[in-house]
Amino acid sequence: MRDLYDRLKTAFPLGELTEQRPDLAFVTVAKEQLRSLLLHLRDQEGFTHLVLLTAVDWLEEGNFQLTYLMNNRLACRDLGVRVMLPRDPASMDSIHDLWPTAATYQRELREMFGIDFPGSPRVDEDFILEGWIRTPPYRRDFDTLKFSDEVFAPRPGRASSDPTEFMKQQLYPDKT
Amino acid sequence: MSLSDVLSPFSAWKNLFRDPVTIPDPLNDRPGAPRYRGFHQNDIEKCIGCGTCEAICQNAAIDMVAVAEIATKPGDSGLRPRIDYGRCCWCALCVDVCMTSSLSMSNEYKWVDHDPDAFCFIPGVDLKHWDSSELGYRRPEGHRLTGIERVAMGELEPEVRADSFVEIVAGYDLEQAKLEADRCVSCGLCVATCPTHMAVPEYIATIRDGDYEQGVRLLYQTNPFSNVCGRVCTHRCETSCAARHEGDPIAIRWLKRHIIDQVTHDRIKQIAAEGRVSKPSGHQVAIIGAGPAGLTAAFDLAKAGHGVTVFEALPAPGGMMRYGIPEYRLPYDKLDEDVDVIRSMGVEIRCNTRVGEDISIDQLREQHDTVLLSIGLHQGRSTRIPGSEHEDVVSAVELLRRITFGERFDVPTTVAVIGGGNVAMDIARSLARMQRQQHGQVGVTLVALEAEDLMLADREEIDEAREEGVVIIPSRGPRQCLIERDALTGLETVHCVSVFDDQGRFAPNYDDSDIQIHDAGLIVEAIGQAADHAFLGESLTEALEWERNRIRIDADGRTSESWLWAAGDAVQGPDVITAVAAGHRIAASMMEAFAGTSAQTH
Repeated sequence: MRDLYDRLKTAFPLGELTEQRPDLAFVTVAKEQLRSLLLHLRDQEGFTHLVLLTAVDWLEEGNFQLTYLMNNRLACRDLGVRVMLPRDPASMDSIHDLWPTAATYQRELREMFGIDFPGSPRVDEDFILEGWIRTPPYRRDFDTLKFSDEVFAPRPGRASSDPTEFMKQQLYPDKT
Repeated sequence: MSLSDVLSPFSAWKNLFRDPVTIPDPLNDRPGAPRYRGFHQNDIEKCIGCGTCEAICQNAAIDMVAVAEIATKPGDSGLRPRIDYGRCCWCALCVDVCMTSSLSMSNEYKWVDHDPDAFCFIPGVDLKHWDSSELGYRRPEGHRLTGIERVAMGELEPEVRADSFVEIVAGYDLEQAKLEADRCVSCGLCVATCPTHMAVPEYIATIRDGDYEQGVRLLYQTNPFSNVCGRVCTHRCETSCAARHEGDPIAIRWLKRHIIDQVTHDRIKQIAAEGRVSKPSGHQVAIIGAGPAGLTAAFDLAKAGHGVTVFEALPAPGGMMRYGIPEYRLPYDKLDEDVDVIRSMGVEIRCNTRVGEDISIDQLREQHDTVLLSIGLHQGRSTRIPGSEHEDVVSAVELLRRITFGERFDVPTTVAVIGGGNVAMDIARSLARMQRQQHGQVGVTLVALEAEDLMLADREEIDEAREEGVVIIPSRGPRQCLIERDALTGLETVHCVSVFDDQGRFAPNYDDSDIQIHDAGLIVEAIGQAADHAFLGESLTEALEWERNRIRIDADGRTSESWLWAAGDAVQGPDVITAVAAGHRIAASMMEAFAGTSAQTH
């Protein structure tokens, strides 16, 4: 992967190379460079297949990380291209014209993380969360407990004991 | 058409000889991936019911519930996690945080049931077919959410401390304390183990919050000796700490000390006085002995408005905290601060007042509603081996007392200490310091009956004593003190094969062929202590119920005489914190006795 990285570096300003396995590595690139890097990988380096597109919410840093995982079938290796974007408002150029499947990923990211991809087909339509009006649920500031409490009835018979209090009742109940 | 197009149908034949990657029966046999986060497993023997899984669960899917067959015991609440699969999102944080790695996830993911309540279950207790599954999610090696290692404590190096009585332990600074406090998961398993049930998770939380005054407030709710206990407590709480299972236990003792070190003495006095009853109740209590048990009872009683007078035979209050524990472990000024807070509640401490000589116990009884005996164990026991009556064969407690008095007696160049407990270490290390001051070198040999790994002293005491030059020889029984022309010359010991017999009774077994002579111009016996009950007088001694050499007490610390309570080492060892707990119990019991009765007129 180092050879590929060295070649790419001559044309693109890249971050450090993270080699996870001999056949899997990650690089970071600026948002503006993504499209040309993906095109270069597809047309010059044999990374013809978009394996997946996913996101990580770096809430504390105020960023979303997008990972475009690219596969070179002949060389049997994968390269993950990472892009950091500001969390609010989160928006990224669509790549559905390079790989039509990207539209589906982008629609999912729009729904689950609230990241917009202007121009991506059907990007604003419900994906799996029908009628969702809350904070996108994969955002880390989405409070799953609050959501569960509001939406689902509590299960009857549920009760919990505090270990300290329980041990007191069992081992030294008479003391104040 | 190229050649490869012609050959390629045949090249597929080579796959005939490979293992198939397809699943033969995909409708019935579809295993989850090896690290799949499937249904939970819990090794209930390993689980300690700390509830950390419940605390971290983002969806409140976990309850801690009592399980009939699991008993509550020190370090194990007896509770076990029950998971509501109506809420679980299989994030595996419960597995990642589990303090004992008892919790894991199998790779099983199919479960069909008509009863929705079946999906609320106690893994490991409600048996499932995936309980023994080898595959599934485990916390990956090296992946930990809580710190494993204790923040190291700054200590004086052996070469610096070996000739000095300056305190060895530096105490945590703010940053160190916060880091250490951050390792605590606030499960509270330690609270039951602490004899006085200090609010450990809550006071550790005040360090994280930087709210040290609240920390002091919490300490004083259960313990008026936090300066002392923050330094010399036997910290049994740490043996129940959830963190000890896969790392170092939280340094609870050092964190306590850190809190009390951060607040000024005057402010501590104000905080300790919060809730004090200023109106005198009229009840009067006499306490014999100003050790941790007596002074704790005095603190509680005085704070509640009762009149308390403490009678102390020695020149200064503190009991064994002052006259037993060496200054390098507990500086006197820190003990003085704790005692000063107690005095500021209105407790009168009369030092140099020995009951039986300066005032009789009958007088105390006449002048007070109740009396507490908290006299401690200040008489050393003797081995009674031949030669032990020589004037240079002395008890450890007597010598430690003389050191506290400030007596600068000459220590011979060779000393033998008999005993393997903490008192033996205290005197060996104290004498080693004095030898270094007087002779420039150490010549202390400590012989213990027990084998190295069974010695009663704390491991750190043994290690530090050795660092300071004390020679510790385990498995040696004292045989005789050697005397030449009236002068003590050495100690003869034999190899001790075993200390206890099959029934666990004390019955040392010696190998008489293995004899050693240890040069000694002074022999110190540190094999245990006794209480001096002579001052009770004949009639009271007769009237009281006894249990061997100890006065019999009930759970509240009451003796068989309705006006007399007893506490501390003399009735119930072994340490400061146990004495503090007893002091609280006795104060509560006395106040219960006062309730509904009017004060005597004195």
